[in-house]
Amino acid sequence: MNKKMQTEIFFGPNFPGVPGNYGISYNFQGDTVVEAEPNAGHLHRGFEKLMEQRIWIKNTALVCRICVMEPDINEMAYAMGFEAIGNLEIPERAKYIRSIILELARIQAHLFSIGGNCGAIGLYTASHTGTLARDYLLDLFEEITGGRVYHIYNRPGGVRKDISDETFQKILDTIDELEKERMPEFDHLIFENPVAQKRWKNIAVLSQEKALEMGVTGPAIRATGLPYDVRKLMPYAAYDKVNFEVPTGSNGDAWDRLVIKRDEIFQSINIIRQLIKNIPDGPVNLDLGNGLKYKVPAGSAYVKIESARGEFGYYMVSDGGLKPYRVHVRGSSNPVGLYGVVAELPGTRIEDVPVWAHSLDVCPPEFDR
Amino acid sequence: MRTEEETMKLITNRFLDCNVKKLRPQNLEAKVPESITIDILSHLKSHGYSHLATISCVDWIDDNEFELAYHLFSYEDRINITIQTRIDREKAKYITAKELWPVAQFYERDIHDFFGVEFEGNDNLEELILENWNHTPPMRKDFDTRKFVNEQYEWRDYHEQENAD
Repeated sequence: MNKKMQTEIFFGPNFPGVPGNYGISYNFQGDTVVEAEPNAGHLHRGFEKLMEQRIWIKNTALVCRICVMEPDINEMAYAMGFEAIGNLEIPERAKYIRSIILELARIQAHLFSIGGNCGAIGLYTASHTGTLARDYLLDLFEEITGGRVYHIYNRPGGVRKDISDETFQKILDTIDELEKERMPEFDHLIFENPVAQKRWKNIAVLSQEKALEMGVTGPAIRATGLPYDVRKLMPYAAYDKVNFEVPTGSNGDAWDRLVIKRDEIFQSINIIRQLIKNIPDGPVNLDLGNGLKYKVPAGSAYVKIESARGEFGYYMVSDGGLKPYRVHVRGSSNPVGLYGVVAELPGTRIEDVPVWAHSLDVCPPEFDR
Repeated sequence: MRTEEETMKLITNRFLDCNVKKLRPQNLEAKVPESITIDILSHLKSHGYSHLATISCVDWIDDNEFELAYHLFSYEDRINITIQTRIDREKAKYITAKELWPVAQFYERDIHDFFGVEFEGNDNLEELILENWNHTPPMRKDFDTRKFVNEQYEWRDYHEQENAD
């Protein structure tokens, strides 16, 4: 190919189609990508190093900041790692509450993500609608935990405080409203909109073989037809006590991924109803003694949970001291955001790049920890 | 679908000097010698353990060793295996897993950035997250963040704001 005909363009963090503080350097031939190279590091905050310097309990307030969209997922994975190394079994009620919180977190992440996908194709009305619908859930989080975005609620040994019956009723009312009013609105605006469908169908296709080879998880792998969900494969919290389906697609394109996210919102609503109906009474956390003196026996554990974007893993190592010896975070969009850009983006047209990045849920804070 | 015990046998039958143990249900951990790690990874990959979640590195400064941990998962067996291997800290060098999983090249680049481990066969180990870094790799245990800040930056004196009104 004639090199002279190629144009080099850097899509930096300010570029509207880039999902977050992250850059990609491109070589374009006409309007088609020939080469792409990720440019990470704009957001590096050294979380992993910081965690080694702080005592176990203090990190609970730190991990949720790793990814803005998935604070509960990080708290949960950290707490699960702590419990796995320490061989702790948390009370039943705490497991149910954790699942409720995680499902609420999944719904809010999906709403935001669907909104972001609409923003990527210029349908800004829908991105505002998504943010609005998410805000009602943030109100719930504020009532339950005291924080809107960062909750610091799942702590090692259980959850910070109990949820009252009135609050459960409020959760039920909010998800009822979401199901009966907000979601039909979304359907009219996005999913029944032929223009939007045209921008998503057969665009940003990821084949099943490629997805498996890259280690892609979450809606992106389910869109290729494989019902892989950590909640089913390795149940944690109270997911082994509820019935739910794992929605799958068939084409592996942006449209399938979006429809899966929409269907998962309904599944999450269903899960929350089952959990609230069957929640047992009892304590919500273990008494682990003085929080400033937590010690975890020497050992290591890799724990993973299903975030809205896919497998979120924590590799935690303890040397028996007051601080973690090492914590390594595996963000769910790590494979697509770095390797995927090099391997999958070439051949994509310039206007489809934002659709590609948003529909595959590239979240820079996860690899720029 | 294999059980945890069958998966443990899958490794120990072929590779005798491996220490595999069951941590929790669905979770195994294998401590393996440096020389056969890539063979074990390739053996496991051909038996369904095809999902490489990530590669982690731990700095065991007291033992003068780095630990590389490969997290594999099998969708059929629903078992997670962490393959841990130790390499020398002074000559921090290992073989790339890029041939088995192309995505590993970026995990290795990340480890190269933060621990300074070289991966033989990985031709692109340029800086990924850091930029123009010429100090000790920052995630090593002997990198002191406070000392680094004191050396690199000047502290500003604190003054009460004058004429506040």
